[in-house]
Amino acid sequence: MQFKAMRSVALTAAMMLAAGTPAYAHHGWSWTQDGFFELRGKITAIYIGNPHATLDVDAEGEAWRVEMAPPSRTIAAGFTEEVAKVGDEVTAIGNRSLEASEKRMKAVRLIVNGKTYDVYPDRVPPA
Amino acid sequence: MTEFFAGIEQLALARWLKGSFIAYPIVNALHIMSIGALLTSVMLMDLRICGAFRSLPQAAFVALLRHIALVAFAGALVTGSLLFSVKASTYAAMPVFLAKMALILLAGMNFLAFTRLRRATGGDAPARGTTLAVLSMLLWTSVLFAGRFIGFL
Repeated sequence: MQFKAMRSVALTAAMMLAAGTPAYAHHGWSWTQDGFFELRGKITAIYIGNPHATLDVDAEGEAWRVEMAPPSRTIAAGFTEEVAKVGDEVTAIGNRSLEASEKRMKAVRLIVNGKTYDVYPDRVPPA
Repeated sequence: MTEFFAGIEQLALARWLKGSFIAYPIVNALHIMSIGALLTSVMLMDLRICGAFRSLPQAAFVALLRHIALVAFAGALVTGSLLFSVKASTYAAMPVFLAKMALILLAGMNFLAFTRLRRATGGDAPARGTTLAVLSMLLWTSVLFAGRFIGFL
């Protein structure tokens, strides 16, 4: 009984691990396409802070989620909650999700109010 | 309710944690530390109740680990509340976060049931005690997994 009980615990844990493997969201680039993607739209929400900086963008009626660099890096690039506000036009350049139906991208460069912010200077498209 | 969670985010402490790249990772690390201590002590305690490490005296071993588990849970509760406060409305709207809270509640009820059983039987409660111990391991493991998924959904 006791061995069986323990074995069932181990099995359940293994199953949960297996089920969890495909889940990765905003960490790294493994979930994004290789080619550059450009998104233009109006900012509907800005969040610059822990644990992740994000921008919600309305692009021709589609609600997009733009993931940004870690907040410390985003702010170091000069992009703070003060430089943009809800309603501003934004251009986000980066990589979109491998999942074509998912309206989500990770930005390496943001252009807002005429200013360019390279949050991943080593990954921006060549000039 | 929406205003309540938005209010939490506006607390000075929450706003400070949102913008601090030293305090937030520290609180995060302390949360992980608490979870590690909690899961380890719960697992060892439950395995002992299930009959593992028979060379160790059960009463003393379980009492020590229960004490560690309670302190660790208090640490996880404090640090977890701080992490929650930064984006309270977002987390409160996430099914996986609510599932985690429900699982913690169930694990707590399981703990109370075990305490009552021990009191009623005066220490040793082999059969039902084992069931509750297995349930405890399952529940706390599920809490851990649900918690980790908050960052990915």
